[in-house]
Amino acid sequence: MLSAAASTIPRLRLAAQPRSRLPSSGSHWLRPFSSATHVTTPAAAAGAGSLEPPDLPRLANAARISLSRQEAEEFEPKIRQVVDWFGQLQAVDLESIEPSLRAGTAAGSSLREDKPETFVNRDAIVEAIPSYDDPYIKVPRVLNKE
Amino acid sequence: MALMLLRGMSTPISFRSSTGLFFTVLRPRLARFTTRVESAQATEAKAAAKSIQLATKEASEQKLQGFEAIIGIETHVQLSTVTKAFCSCPYNYGSQPNSTICPTCMGHPGTLPVLNEKVVECAVKLGLALNCEISMTSKFDRKQYFYPDLPKGYQISQFDIPIAKKGYVDLDLPVEFGGGHRKFGITRVHMEEDAGKLLHSESGSYSQVDLNRAGVPLLEIVSEPDMRTGIEAAEYGAELQRIVRYLGVSNGNMQEGSLRCDVNVSVRPVGQSEFGTKVEIKNMNSFSEINRAIDYEISRQILLHKEGQADQIVQETRLWDESSQKTFTMRKKEGLADYRYFPEPDLPEVVLTTDYIDEISKSMPELPEAKRRRYENMGLSMQDVLFLANDDNVAHFFDSTLEHGADAKLACNWIMGDIAAYLKNEKLSIDETKLTPLELSELIASIKNGIISGKIGKEILVELISKGGTVKGVIEEKDLVQIADPAAIEAMVDKVIADNPKQLEQYRAGKTKLQGFFAGQVMKASKGKANPVLLNKILGEKLNAN
Repeated sequence: MLSAAASTIPRLRLAAQPRSRLPSSGSHWLRPFSSATHVTTPAAAAGAGSLEPPDLPRLANAARISLSRQEAEEFEPKIRQVVDWFGQLQAVDLESIEPSLRAGTAAGSSLREDKPETFVNRDAIVEAIPSYDDPYIKVPRVLNKE
Repeated sequence: MALMLLRGMSTPISFRSSTGLFFTVLRPRLARFTTRVESAQATEAKAAAKSIQLATKEASEQKLQGFEAIIGIETHVQLSTVTKAFCSCPYNYGSQPNSTICPTCMGHPGTLPVLNEKVVECAVKLGLALNCEISMTSKFDRKQYFYPDLPKGYQISQFDIPIAKKGYVDLDLPVEFGGGHRKFGITRVHMEEDAGKLLHSESGSYSQVDLNRAGVPLLEIVSEPDMRTGIEAAEYGAELQRIVRYLGVSNGNMQEGSLRCDVNVSVRPVGQSEFGTKVEIKNMNSFSEINRAIDYEISRQILLHKEGQADQIVQETRLWDESSQKTFTMRKKEGLADYRYFPEPDLPEVVLTTDYIDEISKSMPELPEAKRRRYENMGLSMQDVLFLANDDNVAHFFDSTLEHGADAKLACNWIMGDIAAYLKNEKLSIDETKLTPLELSELIASIKNGIISGKIGKEILVELISKGGTVKGVIEEKDLVQIADPAAIEAMVDKVIADNPKQLEQYRAGKTKLQGFFAGQVMKASKGKANPVLLNKILGEKLNAN
């Protein structure tokens, strides 16, 4: 019953209207962030919707990456450039454009039947496990961490 | 909205830690039986009733001192789909560790998730059953956290647009707890994936991971903070269990971890509008444990308030310890975890059509609340209603018996009495016995029509339930037809009176209580088959003759 119904699910709406209809879209919002000179005053370019500057120590901690103070200082402007580049998207006028949750994919074809299929090459998976203690995967002690 | 988001965010820790805990308390073989007994929940409730009532009483006495508790519950329900949520690996509880895994649920690079259509169907069913608004379009998000039971480094979940929201659930509190109807709000229902299981080695030098459960579909149900007592919370959980079982979306088994409740409790002085500091409680393996854990926690918090130590109540996760009947700090929360939710780029949005939802609506079974109201309208007592509607197998058996023409009250009495006792003894569920609804209706009709006595009826039931067969067959085989021929009964009465001249003399001297003795003797002579009404009538006439 579900598969029949699923096949009747309408095709996903186009995520965004054709680009020609986007006001102020121009070429500047696709500008690559690598050219640092272009993004010296990104906050101004992004207008009211500008994004918060990155908090490097917090980001590093969240990504479980250790950064020295010097490394953090080096990365900060680079990350800021990336964020600011995205910040420019805030300037795009989206008035009268229906919000899209996701970039377009044909929705009806994206579901799978609830049919089991055992992965045949289990040995290869097990082999790829860095530390295997048959039948378990062995990991560093994690009890009470956090 | 803010509240909703906060609660959404507070979940994953819960689900991670319970993972380990559940494993340490597993009793796999036992679990099967425990559940069955639990499904005839009246028994379980009664067993625990005394201590619960004590705890409830203590809590309510303290509540009189001007405090009220606010309780909200997050429930994870593991769906009984054949395969996992995003890959085709089969999932069976208790399989050999790390046997049902593939590159997708192992989080190997380059793999892509593909959503199981059954998960959407289950989510819509549960959303409708909980009277929710269904989102025609919803999406998946990534919830990041690093933990070995989740190989991808994130959980695929739904964040800002859940598949269902703004619902409610109706329930009736058990009669032994004072009864009463309640309606509790449902904030949201969303789809997500389960994590693997972590085991901690004895020495504690390393941990072991079983990823069979990684990627198994879950529905998380978040309640509004509408509950005020342990029993309300326990009954909310029990009602969710009934609903998922009625719908067939999950086995709702708490021992196996298919249904997990994380409870948030806070206390505030009556009249205060803002909530007190909330404490999360975990590690409750039955509804009666939920009840006691909450009432204990309420008492603990009220005591701190009364002692002027309200600042000792901190936002934390506490574990219920069944052996000491107390909650203990597991970990203090240091601010909100940062899950850095963002839309799952590997999955398209979930788009539903009204036709699809209509079709599921039409296929919905009668739900526990509707069943209870229907049984109530038949004139059954609330105790009967709750017993019958508690287990959908029992309710189905009862309904079929009625379809064969049996009287509701009589059928109910048989099911709640002799049949329930047998099921409890044998640790069986009603659909595992040899008794059919048709034969129960025949049995009731045979007694009603005077073919057999009620006493013989009980004997026949034992025969039917353990060995099967038909009422007619058992009656014929054992020659159990009630003796309703006045001449035959008269003959037996005459013989008994003739055999007991001494008692007859005493009777006639005024000791009329002896009629019972004579009746018993005749019944014995008839092997229990004499029609009791006729017997007493004839016996009375004979004894009083002269």
